[in-house]
Amino acid sequence: MKLTRRLTLAAFAGMLALGTAMPAYAADLIAIITPSHDNPFFKAEAVGAEAKAKELGYDTLVLVHDDDANKQSELIDTAIGRGAKAIILDNAGADATVAAVQKAKDAGVPSFLIDREINATGVAVAQIVSNNYQGAQLGAQEFVKLMGEKGNFVELVGKESDTNAGIRSKGYHDVIDDYPDLKMVAQQSANWSQTEAYAKMESILQANPDIKGVISGNDTMAMGAYAALAAAGRKDVIVVGFDGSNDVRDSITSGGIKATVLQPAFAQAQMAVEQANDFIKNKKSPEKEKQLMDCVLINGDNAPKLETFALKN
Amino acid sequence: MPNKMTWLTSGLTLRLTFAALAGLGLGACKILPTQSAQEESKAPTFNPDKAVEDIWASKVIPYLQQKAGPFAEVHALAKTDQAAAGAKYGNPKKQANSPWTFVVRLEGKIVAANTQSRAATIDVDIDGDGKADARVQIGPAMRGTALRDSLDFVQFNDFTNQIDFAQFGKAFNAYADKTVLSKLPRDGLEGRSIKVLGAYTIDGGQDLPLVTPAEAEIGPKP
Repeated sequence: MKLTRRLTLAAFAGMLALGTAMPAYAADLIAIITPSHDNPFFKAEAVGAEAKAKELGYDTLVLVHDDDANKQSELIDTAIGRGAKAIILDNAGADATVAAVQKAKDAGVPSFLIDREINATGVAVAQIVSNNYQGAQLGAQEFVKLMGEKGNFVELVGKESDTNAGIRSKGYHDVIDDYPDLKMVAQQSANWSQTEAYAKMESILQANPDIKGVISGNDTMAMGAYAALAAAGRKDVIVVGFDGSNDVRDSITSGGIKATVLQPAFAQAQMAVEQANDFIKNKKSPEKEKQLMDCVLINGDNAPKLETFALKN
Repeated sequence: MPNKMTWLTSGLTLRLTFAALAGLGLGACKILPTQSAQEESKAPTFNPDKAVEDIWASKVIPYLQQKAGPFAEVHALAKTDQAAAGAKYGNPKKQANSPWTFVVRLEGKIVAANTQSRAATIDVDIDGDGKADARVQIGPAMRGTALRDSLDFVQFNDFTNQIDFAQFGKAFNAYADKTVLSKLPRDGLEGRSIKVLGAYTIDGGQDLPLVTPAEAEIGPKP
């Protein structure tokens, strides 16, 4: 009861604040909430979603939660308060997000999740996520091949609160652990961060100079690791990432990082907006709430065709 | 695994055993048929290996047998009209964005074998022109989740998250490896005949269709 009252008040306050500024013919609003745009992947999502929303005639409210579940909860309050007709969300935690999305649903605002899933169904209208496990398998298979099925390697893991960190690690190991001659000498989280990966790689390399490969949970960490390896004169170490960023594309084409896995972030965000539009205008839910999008292996063969998280034909 | 499962006869017994072990504070990883203790602590209620074993003989094999088409026919149709091939030989309820997976029966002669890799494969000539038409995975390491993805009664929506869904996919490969593929001969394979019931996923990147077997027989040396 208390919560509802607070929400209603917040909604009221929001409406009052905007009432004068908003012309009567204002378009419907779609809120787009993602992690920090420092990572080009999340930026591509926000840009993709915003472009599609504008194309379909919506106003947009683009916000970042910085992987902070409390902040995410506040942003969802803001979206509800501003009278958003839908929320496009790349969420801040598979468990922590359930209540926030439920809150939006109770306030009549449907959520369309992208990139990361939550541990509940029937709360969001759609969960459109990359098939991270399938993608991790592709990356790991390429890694195994590049390593010649043997040698010491390091794994850099993503942020623990993000389900995709665990899924990718699991996908990597489901493939790599089938090869007993591949030995993991270190496994550390660098929290998706390039600078953290650089620092971690430096110290791992000191303790384990005999490494042959590094498999990383995302591209920004792969970039950090490769920079540290290059600075130590170890460009021979095989590095494989995940995401399909332009930075890693450029590294691959110039002979640095060996491979990555493309997640169709841009297309995914646009698809979420299309489904939101269908829901708003036609009250139509997507056929399936949970929707998987397959990832694509990127290596020297197809890297030149990669641009902003999409493959050109 | 069957030897472990014979005395853990039901899910209830399994759960009770688990509870009992957990209560005693014993490491359960040596006794229970899951891969590691870490996974058990994360998801004690979902046991992918057991889930696969429970449906393999009663649902999976009958489904594959009923759905399978001769490889040449399926592959020819898949090359011209994937959706039509998928409706007939695949899982029409698959995720819209996922590639099609087809169930096939194939019979032919082994023209090449790569048993050096742990992801061992056999190249099979099916149409008799001496050239390979399909590549069959014989484990122990296997790629993809073709067996899972060919089944129309398995839906991603029915799983808590991708991890459970993924483990379930891997468990099919593991079960096929344990019960069928690990028993296949590994030496002097070229020239021998092979018979397979399995599935493959359309993937633009690979040169030969990669078939994951659910059943496989290799004939005697010629």
